[in-house]
Amino acid sequence: MDSVFRVKRGMTAAVVTAVLVTAACGRDRKSGGSAGDPIVIGVSLPLTGDFSEPGKGIQRGYEAWAKIVNDGGGLLGRQVKLKFLDDASNADRVVSDYEQLIGKDKVALVFGPFSTRLVVPSARVAEEYGMLFVEPAGAAKQVFEQGFKNLFYAAPAVATEHYNLLAKYVLALPEATRPRTAAYASMDDPFAQSTAYGFKAKLEAGGIKTLVNEVYPPNTTEFSGIAAKIAASNADIVVGGSQYQDGVNLIVTLQQLNYQPKLAAFSTAPTEAEFAKAIGNKAEGVLAPTGYTPQSKFPSNVEFVHKYTAQFGGLPGEDEANGYSTGQVVAAAVKAVGCAEQGSCQGKLVAWLHANQVETVVGPLRWDDRGRPQGEHMIQQWVGGKIQIVLPAALKEADLIYPKPAW
Amino acid sequence: MPSGALVFQTVVLGVLLGGLYALLAAGLTLYFGVMRVVMIAHSAFLILAAYLAWYFQLATGLDPLLSLPITVPVFFAVGVAMQRLLLARLQPATRTMMSVLLTFAIAVVIEGALGSLFTGTQHRIQLGYSGASLELLGARVAVVKLLAFAMAAAAMLALYVVMTRSRFGQALRATIQHPEAAKLVGIPTDRVVGYGFGLGLATAAIGGTALALDSTIYPSLHWRWIGPLMAIIVVGGLGSVVGTAIAAMALGMVMSLLQIPLGTTWAQTGFYLALFATLAIRPQGFFGGRLAKRF
Amino acid sequence: MRRGAIVRLAVIAIGAGLVLSFPAAAGDPYMLTVGITIVNYAVLATAWNFVGGFIGYISLGHSALSGLGAYGTALLIAAGLPSFVALFAAAALVALLAVPIGAAALRVRGASFVIVSIALVLILLLVFQSWASLTGGSRGLVVPRPFPGLHRAEHHLVFFFLFAALLAGTLLAWWLIDRSRFGLGLKAIREDEDKSQSLGIPTFAFKLIVFVVSAAFTALGGGLYALWFGDLDPVFQFSVLTGSTMVLMALLGGVRHLFGPLLGAVVVGAALESFKLAYGDTPLHLVATGLLLGGVVMFMPEGVIPALSSLWRRRFGPQEASIREVTAAALLDRARHEPAERVVQEADRTGGGR
Repeated sequence: MDSVFRVKRGMTAAVVTAVLVTAACGRDRKSGGSAGDPIVIGVSLPLTGDFSEPGKGIQRGYEAWAKIVNDGGGLLGRQVKLKFLDDASNADRVVSDYEQLIGKDKVALVFGPFSTRLVVPSARVAEEYGMLFVEPAGAAKQVFEQGFKNLFYAAPAVATEHYNLLAKYVLALPEATRPRTAAYASMDDPFAQSTAYGFKAKLEAGGIKTLVNEVYPPNTTEFSGIAAKIAASNADIVVGGSQYQDGVNLIVTLQQLNYQPKLAAFSTAPTEAEFAKAIGNKAEGVLAPTGYTPQSKFPSNVEFVHKYTAQFGGLPGEDEANGYSTGQVVAAAVKAVGCAEQGSCQGKLVAWLHANQVETVVGPLRWDDRGRPQGEHMIQQWVGGKIQIVLPAALKEADLIYPKPAW
Repeated sequence: MPSGALVFQTVVLGVLLGGLYALLAAGLTLYFGVMRVVMIAHSAFLILAAYLAWYFQLATGLDPLLSLPITVPVFFAVGVAMQRLLLARLQPATRTMMSVLLTFAIAVVIEGALGSLFTGTQHRIQLGYSGASLELLGARVAVVKLLAFAMAAAAMLALYVVMTRSRFGQALRATIQHPEAAKLVGIPTDRVVGYGFGLGLATAAIGGTALALDSTIYPSLHWRWIGPLMAIIVVGGLGSVVGTAIAAMALGMVMSLLQIPLGTTWAQTGFYLALFATLAIRPQGFFGGRLAKRF
Repeated sequence: MRRGAIVRLAVIAIGAGLVLSFPAAAGDPYMLTVGITIVNYAVLATAWNFVGGFIGYISLGHSALSGLGAYGTALLIAAGLPSFVALFAAAALVALLAVPIGAAALRVRGASFVIVSIALVLILLLVFQSWASLTGGSRGLVVPRPFPGLHRAEHHLVFFFLFAALLAGTLLAWWLIDRSRFGLGLKAIREDEDKSQSLGIPTFAFKLIVFVVSAAFTALGGGLYALWFGDLDPVFQFSVLTGSTMVLMALLGGVRHLFGPLLGAVVVGAALESFKLAYGDTPLHLVATGLLLGGVVMFMPEGVIPALSSLWRRRFGPQEASIREVTAAALLDRARHEPAERVVQEADRTGGGR
């Protein structure tokens, strides 16, 4: 008995020592690769699951960026290579993906994933490994309240500001026709809620009364209860803090109850190509904010739209543009600082972006100390069977229809 | 204070929802009756049927209701096969527990297979009459919801007729009430139990098609159904089809009304509170008889 | 000294050595996170096995308890407690909460118990999604780092050893109960609840106590995960699937054995992780999990350890006359508790080496 114990104790001690020694020296490995190798950029995206549609859009944007960069001779004279992992829209998985990309694959740079829900956990991984983290989709307030120093959002405006132009328009309507009441329904999702509540705050400040304010969890499919309340309130405005399918379901249920608002604004859903058909081709007059239009005249956008169309055979949407602009932001920093590898280089990239403005396909971007962009979103509306820019006046493709025709 | 119109509207919606719950819970309670098995995969088969209806409409362009002549017999056969090949082979001593795990595993396999085939993206059948509605005493009733309710009611009626009027139904009820005695009087209980299982799964085929008419579907949706359904069969008394139907209508109605003051999510918790309360006060359920007590 | 004891000590020594040398062998921080995940699984599966193994009640709802532990820890930190004080305070609170939960759930047996355990997870999911002002709703909750400023690789290293320590504690507690009179009473309940009640065992109190112990360790596992991972999402915290993974691991390894759940966690955890690495996190891994669970339930409900040892005995030991009438685990138990028979077996084995 004694001998066994002694052996065991000795073994354990030896093992522990070995562990501590190896663990201590195991961490000094260099990463990044040398001059001739491609620059590997790691990305985790929701290619399956709830966010797979926008996730694939972002992926196309990243791929278009990589192709255009490589066709033009690469970055710092090296080709860029994207390594995609699929996080299945799963927060647990996205962390493990970035863990793998940074810790195991030793990628030189990382790009962000899609959806605020996934951006926050993955940004923490990047932050704690000291990596620059430019992301195409984490627009909600919450993202910028975590104290991240390495995070930059590569789109024109944070979610709470998306409806600014529409709020201004509504509150400037003549007294006689101005709406007086509003109903809000939002998914319990940081992005969707931020858009709806940003709008709500501005309308309430302008004296428009809130009659209904409902929140539903992601993956809700039954909207009868919420729709019944909205219809019973007969509010002038209905605002949906939606992703895609929930917005469609809510609208269909509202149609079933024959509720006819004067103004209907939904985030994300109306910008999808399938939208009109999904709600029975009664989309006329539905509003949505957007950060991008292929028609915009920013210098790099013309090249992007042209080459994107050649590569994928169709016009890029907002997700594709945000993916592309993420690439542009990182590339600008890499060119200016002259390095792309893990380690101290990342800190220099971060510092450069905090101090400079970058020209992108969604316009010139600059950031405050928390990585919030300082631009403005446009407002689109379904007019004459297709979705068109109606605000701001300078960029409009059609006149805003108010009040909304019946659906 | 909610307006009278809103309350009436909600009551109508509650009745329509309760009808679908009743049909699905009837299947669940049938499995329990014939075999003392809690069939976790019931709602997964429900979603599977909804996917089949959706895919049928997508592939053929025909009305999803026309998929029923295919799915109902197929589901019946799958139910019989599942009972004969899997559940009947579990050791009787631990069958109740192990059958839960086994059907749970089947549910997960179905969810994973649907996810692999159709991705996790949400789908919804697009019908010409999706947004159409009828006026009923001041309440608006969607045509699709009415259709789903009619299907559920017809299926319940058919189930009732089969159970009470046919020789098979008699054998089935005898087997539920006393398997040993049923065997003694010459009823081939093994086969009857298998058919009972098939019948239960056939309700999932009808329910799934009804569900697909008016709801968005995605692979993990079945978790949202199994909880309320389990609550209904416990409240109604495990094994009692009539009790289940009453409990389903009552709970469907109460949850619909609770949505007005509480909102959708909190109202859902009502199902579970009813479940816990039932087990605390009257574990055999409110309409269950001898059978529920024995277990 | 008995051969069994030596074997057991050797297993423990080798196991401890393997666990402790893992970080060095892992090589990079990513592999370390895989290791942490598996040890976390092992903690949860062993904690589950207090209920599943001792009294034979299959709970699919243990993720409710780990989720409560995780959220409890996060909320207590937000209320101002230091991280690790919050961890233990949360576990104590969950144990307290487990008294009424257990009292309600353990009143019913069989299918109703499973229904209640699933309902518990589903209702907590709804509550934690809806009560946004407290729990952050569907947006989730961020848990502050217990060691701020630590490089991520070091953070993982620290937590690997913390999880290993928790695993050792959980195993020790299970082993102590297994050897006690209390444990004997519990096992009597597992074999025949009505008979053991008529023999004077306070079955309800015994079941409740062991349920509370199980809840406390499960909550510790969940809370430590919260401290390590940093983000809580109600959908993943209160997931019936997580609960079923615990069941799968424990069943696969063998619920009647101290190291059964640990073995199951290593096998299933490693399989799931390598599956994810090879095929990504596609829904296919759900199919794999489901098939594995179904296979275990159908073909070896007693777990790998009894299945292998009975195979071993059938191949190399004396032939059992009626192998189908007695479960493999019961045979093993008998062999363990009856040294006389064991001696005969040993003699047989050495004598008749076929």
